Amino acid sequence: MSGRRPAQLSRRVNLLHLILVPVTVAWMLPIVIVIGLSLKPTNDPGTIAFGMLPRSPSFANYVTVFQQNPIPRYLFNSALIAVPSVVLVVLLGSMAAFALARLRVPAKGWIFGLLTLALVLPMSSIVVATFQVLQALGLYNSTFGVSIVYTALGLPFAIILIRTSFMAVPQETHDAAVVDGANKWQTFWHVYLPLARPAIAVVVVWQLMLAWNDFLLPLVSLVDKDIKPLTLIPLVYRGEHFTQVGALFAILIVVSVPIVATFAIAQRSLVNGLAGAVK
Amino acid sequence: MRHPLARRDRLTSLAFVVPALILFFVFVAYPIVYNFQASTLDWDGATAGTFVGLGNFVALAHDPVFTKTLLNSALWIPLTIVPQALIGLGLALMLNQPLRGRGVYRALLFLPTVLSPVVVGIVWAQILDPNSGTLAAIAEQTGLTFLKFSYLGDPKTAIFAVMVVNIWMYTGFSLLFYLAGLQLIEPSLLEAAKLDGANFWQRTTRVTFPLLRNTHLTLLLLGIIGSLKTFELLYVLTSGGPYHASEMLPTYAFKQAFQLHSIGYASAISVALLVIAIGSSLLMTRVFGAGFITGEER
Repeated sequence: MSGRRPAQLSRRVNLLHLILVPVTVAWMLPIVIVIGLSLKPTNDPGTIAFGMLPRSPSFANYVTVFQQNPIPRYLFNSALIAVPSVVLVVLLGSMAAFALARLRVPAKGWIFGLLTLALVLPMSSIVVATFQVLQALGLYNSTFGVSIVYTALGLPFAIILIRTSFMAVPQETHDAAVVDGANKWQTFWHVYLPLARPAIAVVVVWQLMLAWNDFLLPLVSLVDKDIKPLTLIPLVYRGEHFTQVGALFAILIVVSVPIVATFAIAQRSLVNGLAGAVK
Repeated sequence: MRHPLARRDRLTSLAFVVPALILFFVFVAYPIVYNFQASTLDWDGATAGTFVGLGNFVALAHDPVFTKTLLNSALWIPLTIVPQALIGLGLALMLNQPLRGRGVYRALLFLPTVLSPVVVGIVWAQILDPNSGTLAAIAEQTGLTFLKFSYLGDPKTAIFAVMVVNIWMYTGFSLLFYLAGLQLIEPSLLEAAKLDGANFWQRTTRVTFPLLRNTHLTLLLLGIIGSLKTFELLYVLTSGGPYHASEMLPTYAFKQAFQLHSIGYASAISVALLVIAIGSSLLMTRVFGAGFITGEER
């Protein structure tokens, strides 16, 4: 009816680049600044582009940072906190989501309501109580303790997201599995879980953001220096070596690389996962 | 149905939720109860506290800093949620077109959201630094001297500066939710509107915008909760200062607990925060239905 040819349409669509390019470039400036400052050597403080980029970029700061700090150790500690919490939140979250979506559970509405309550809890309000619980459980000063707290805090989002995508599974698919003699666990594991893959991708990225980026809980509950995660290092650095700006920014890059890399791998599934889950 | 098999069936069903419930009771319910209990005490966290009943709440009601935190939250909620939603939606509408390289735009614009608030805070502290910052450098080299300003050090601007950082960080988050929401809209509805002669603007405001209802509501709820919980960016950028100018409930609670060792008073602040957060969530589900969370049609 409109009679517009596809070629014309796509030419008009391509005009959007005129808006999107400047907006994206402006949005990326802070990230350019971190990279620029991390490459600025201490012995040549000359800069171009309003101090954003170094005149003679070098990796000297990275060398310093790796020499002064056991970075691989901190990186390992961060992974030791983040990975178990991601695995647990996906497993326990999807189990609960399955029961709340498809099984006969007493007081279902209440359980769902209660489980989502953690969404409103700020870390700063629960840190004192959590500290005591961890002590009572013998998990104080342990990365697993931190990991399990993140699991509890990440569960509501995982349950909401995965439950919605479970509810989109046709009842006939469920019934077919039951007719084939599958028990609840088998139905959950072999039928539901694979179908929720896009939602699970979102949960993985979300939980990783929570567990990788938080610093308050490790700050108050991890005492031993050799179990501290990477996120704590920039704050320590800012306090102790405030003159080493280049090194500080090199640390910021090192802290961010793992989470950005995970996001880059998962990002294709994110939109689909959210679309399936946030209806 | 009152059959032993039916009971067994319910027990095995319950087993699927039990691990999540255990974690909930230990790490969510207990800390909430703990906060309520501690809020009735005058307590430094080390010695035995003295019971003061509602004394801490009476003190809160007369505490000008507490009033300030409430005012700041009242500003923060609309002034971050609305720009994030508008910019995010605008970008999502563009990126929903068959555009070359839209995956790249999407990834780059979402990037700030995945970064640690510590990283974001330190970078923006550098940008806004009145002496060696990027804006100061631009001011000096271009003569736009008004740009050289202590945004984070001035009580009048501090909270707004942190809001700008928040908007920078979380607009990509709104963008992603809107892109997901746009995927769920039946193309036939927009086709029909087009056939009826509606132009792009009309289609967007009359068809697309109302159909994104659940996305708007989800972002509103997450935005309100996120605003009330704001801690990390403030901690790194202003620590709630100068003179409590950018203080919010979590930073104030943190200060009371860890710097002034008034655990009782800090708990009272946390209780206030919880009541406001749970209250506004319940209010939203009452007004708009819980469908946008549960995924059920109303």
